[in-house]
Amino acid sequence: MATHVSSPSRALPRIQRHLRSKGPFTGSLPFWLLLPTLLVVAAIQFYPGIYSIVLSLQDRQAGQAIWVGLRNFERILDSAAFRESVGHTLVFLVGYVLLTMSAGLGLALLFNGRLKLSGVYITLLFIPWVIADIIVGLIFGLLVVPEYGLLSPIFSNPTLFPPDGLSISSDPAPKPWIEGFPFPPAPAMYYLIVASAWRSLPFTTLLMLAALKTVPREITESARIDGASSVQVLWFIILPLILPTMVVALFNLMLGGINGIGLVFTLTRGGPGTATEVLSMLLYTVGFGRLEFGRAAALAVIMAAINLLLIVLTLRVSRTEERTA
Amino acid sequence: MHLSPSLRPIARRFSAKRLSPLVSNGTMILVLALMLLPILLTLATSFKQQDDVLRKPPVLFPCDGPDGTFGLQHCRFVVEGYERVIAPQPAPEALLGVRLTGRMIDTYVPNTLFYALSSSALVFVLAGLAGYAFSRYRFRGRRLLLVAILAITGIPLLTNLLALYQMAVDLRKAGIPGYDERMFVVLVYVGFQLPFAVWVAKGFFDTVPRELEEAALIDGCSPLGTLWRISIPLAMPGLIAAALLCFVSVWNEFIAGFLLLTRREVRTAMFGLYDFLSQNIINYQVIAAACVLIAAPVVVLFLFTRRAFFEAMTEGAVKG
Repeated sequence: MATHVSSPSRALPRIQRHLRSKGPFTGSLPFWLLLPTLLVVAAIQFYPGIYSIVLSLQDRQAGQAIWVGLRNFERILDSAAFRESVGHTLVFLVGYVLLTMSAGLGLALLFNGRLKLSGVYITLLFIPWVIADIIVGLIFGLLVVPEYGLLSPIFSNPTLFPPDGLSISSDPAPKPWIEGFPFPPAPAMYYLIVASAWRSLPFTTLLMLAALKTVPREITESARIDGASSVQVLWFIILPLILPTMVVALFNLMLGGINGIGLVFTLTRGGPGTATEVLSMLLYTVGFGRLEFGRAAALAVIMAAINLLLIVLTLRVSRTEERTA
Repeated sequence: MHLSPSLRPIARRFSAKRLSPLVSNGTMILVLALMLLPILLTLATSFKQQDDVLRKPPVLFPCDGPDGTFGLQHCRFVVEGYERVIAPQPAPEALLGVRLTGRMIDTYVPNTLFYALSSSALVFVLAGLAGYAFSRYRFRGRRLLLVAILAITGIPLLTNLLALYQMAVDLRKAGIPGYDERMFVVLVYVGFQLPFAVWVAKGFFDTVPRELEEAALIDGCSPLGTLWRISIPLAMPGLIAAALLCFVSVWNEFIAGFLLLTRREVRTAMFGLYDFLSQNIINYQVIAAACVLIAAPVVVLFLFTRRAFFEAMTEGAVKG
């Protein structure tokens, strides 16, 4: 504590040290302050986590639990629905992350230095972020209702989308380039990606803006004076400096993308057919649609493992060590 | 995240030199218009009448006369969609002479308000206590707990949902006297919002100078008294921000409320909205109006408290 060394009084630091070592800042008080939080988190986060693992090793039928070992995992991993769903999730994630990150970075570069945070523009830009995901699904769904949706004339226009227009809600995916991998996806998948990106764009932009503000202008300006082009400044100076934030944003988007269900739920419900059945939707369908709890729990455990991996990577990148010190 | 004061004039001059305010503002307005387009179109739909919603091809503004001419005097904007959501009935004894009888307004929205308020109040208190403990005390396992709490903020509801569903079933069967499924749902919401709130609260307590508390302690204030009289008032903006974020998240939450609540009279506004879909297959103006009505409270709340939101988010996300 450098501030105390400069303190004019010699007695004060001693009192402070005393307070810190023996006084109120030690003892059992922090334990009692933390106890309620720890209890709630244990009951709502840890216990269900362990319960999920237990469920995944059981087969529950008519109220009876039978231990089946890893059979649930085998059956879910072997199912065609799971493999297809992994494909859909990958396509969705890549599209969603690329679109959100690039649009977010573009907007942040546009906004940077031009206006303050919490100004009018950025506040209005943020409105999509406070709208519930199921509402976003509903309003994007309304826009493309066949024939009646306000955007449907654009998609059904044969000149824009040859040969005879698009129908978001019913067109199946074209023939895949690689057998068994759902790419190129159905129009509904593109639309789902756009709707999801629309909702997370404000937050991503805010993250990037906050990171851009930490880039010292002296550096970019002197690079410009030395003859670097805008693209070079962006690529060689700005991007490396904001890379940690970009990676944090990337992992955040992936976490949200894998686990988000509200938007799919109201926009496509996994359809048409299974063209947008991502893992979160599959989990819902297996668990609550078909009531195959054991298999759904196995899928939940697999997804939780992916989530944990992403979280650990995020923590590594964001260097929490500094903050917790 | 704050631009240092010495850099601000340079930044302003630099951007002003490059682009005139007109071009700069024009670009921004264009971006905004594009971004808010889905919302504006939904608003337009919500004020249409049934016939105009079911037109082929669809019209943006229902302002064409019988002979096909476009004119403002022909505009047929109605609030029928909204009326069908809130279903006002004349009631002499009620305030303003009408009673809103739509299930959305008289059941689902009050329920959501209850869940959002009670969980943000609990989060406010618990995050305040825990954030203070993390900020002020150095105890064994502190760093591990902090990292664990930060890690938990990333855990989504979805993968725990099956187990939580089973727990809700078990609790209902257990027949605990006084048990209400609403309690469990509030607990679930608190459990999922709390870790992030603790992190935000800790960040705000960290900015309260320790010397102020020490002065109070030397003057004979008890530790809890210091927390109550000095630290909490000073960290109040952060605690309020954490509670606000919780309020909005709970208001917007759908899937947990949908699966964990079984009785219709305790279900949430988001469930009501989902339920509306099945009842209004071609009444697009009713669905749009319901969306607007349910989204409006949190949008308005956000517009009035935006500074708190941005501070909490940068506190929790950027530094975290």
